[in-house]
Amino acid sequence: MGLLSLLRKLKSAPDQELRLLLLGLDNAGKTTLLKKLASEDITQTTPTQGFNIKSVQSDGFKLNVWDIGGQRKIRPYWRNYFENTDVLIYVIDSGDRKRFEETGQELGEILSEEKLAGVPVLIFANKQDLFNAAPASEIAEGLQLHTIRDRTWQIQACSATSGEGVKDGLDWVCKNLKKK
Amino acid sequence: MLRLSLRMFGLVWVTVYWWVRPMVKWLLRRTTGLCELQRVCYGEQRGAQRTQGVGRTPEIQKCMKYIDGKCQERTLNQELIYYVVFAIVKIKKINTQAHKGFSDVLGQCLTQIWGFRQLSAEVEAKRREMYDPANPQHEEKLKALWELMMPDTQLEARVTKQWQMIGFQGDDPQTDFRGMGVLGLENLLFFAEHHTSAARHVLARSLHPTWGYSFAIVGINITHLAYSLLQSGAAKTHFYNASKRFLELRAFHQFYCHLFFSFDEMWRQEKPKDIMEFSRIRDKFEAQVKLKLKNPLAFFKCNFVLENV
Repeated sequence: MGLLSLLRKLKSAPDQELRLLLLGLDNAGKTTLLKKLASEDITQTTPTQGFNIKSVQSDGFKLNVWDIGGQRKIRPYWRNYFENTDVLIYVIDSGDRKRFEETGQELGEILSEEKLAGVPVLIFANKQDLFNAAPASEIAEGLQLHTIRDRTWQIQACSATSGEGVKDGLDWVCKNLKKK
Repeated sequence: MLRLSLRMFGLVWVTVYWWVRPMVKWLLRRTTGLCELQRVCYGEQRGAQRTQGVGRTPEIQKCMKYIDGKCQERTLNQELIYYVVFAIVKIKKINTQAHKGFSDVLGQCLTQIWGFRQLSAEVEAKRREMYDPANPQHEEKLKALWELMMPDTQLEARVTKQWQMIGFQGDDPQTDFRGMGVLGLENLLFFAEHHTSAARHVLARSLHPTWGYSFAIVGINITHLAYSLLQSGAAKTHFYNASKRFLELRAFHQFYCHLFFSFDEMWRQEKPKDIMEFSRIRDKFEAQVKLKLKNPLAFFKCNFVLENV
């Protein structure tokens, strides 16, 4: 990097810092998504005990992404991370049809939380690469997303392992933040 | 400025490497009558210090390419190492009558160097093998893990909430193995099978109402730690000091058991507020292990002293 571009970088306004919260059931793909966002190797993920956090630069924003474990035992701790959240990202394993009901219930509970009132929510219908994955439209219908009226929301089909759809989701996040 | 100083550094390095180094080597060879390999073999203490010294000499670097291929195929054996030693002794014109011990010492070092490399390849293959419920061997190992950890409780079904009793996340452990594959399962099983009382002791401690954690999940995270210490080479000191013989998968499992047991000790010492402190303590533990591995005499033993639950 030349000296000039270095100076230019120093002069420009510091990036706006934002807090993104990644939630969802265990094995939904939150950590893989987090690693994908941070351009890290995704082949060696392990179940998250506690949480992971990474900072990602995107579109002039510094995104601090919090990935909290989805195990039932850990879910009571989710609320400790609600405060000051700018965007909620809810991840669903589109192939895990047996737990659609459970994931819907968890989402419903999160959306009724006072600390998250009005916070935009992006729902990732993850694992679209699986042969038995439900399409995003089917999930949206099952979760009755159209009844959400107190915030902006979006459902995005994606595959965290191949990266497909991840960028689109992130673009939506940045676009909705600029409006703020 | 930076580019210029980099070029200067490069020039100095090349000069030293191509001119000064051979001169020093030649001088040493004339004065001591020994080649570099012999000097390292005689001068260094057995274990990590000597083996790492031998690994850095140019003769060995050349051999490495060929044998590394064998390693990746996981077909390397002790016999091939003897051929390499024989070749080196011939090429370097070493008088085996005068230097009787040399071949043995060199053989030991090479056994360790490639034993470690082959172990890395074997561990990687195990990690890449995904847990498959249709594979009866995988299923049997999983069942054996349950029976060893919970001898008094019958497993009601293959998919059951009971798995959470030994710290899996949901009803089916399969998804928890994820990026660690069968390696994660075999690590846990080895701990349960070969250090049964220690493993049950750690499980009991993991069920503590305030300082508890999920045994199996943490175990799989420890697999990741052990795996990355192996692949980065940070764990070489331990493995070179652990065994004179060709390394087997068992050595990796032992390393894992030590890590899991000492992680549990550290967890308890830290008195974490809740499970959300896991990443912090895990990182602290990793830093501590890496520091210990920097010591050329590092060797982690599996002498477990069981304290109170």
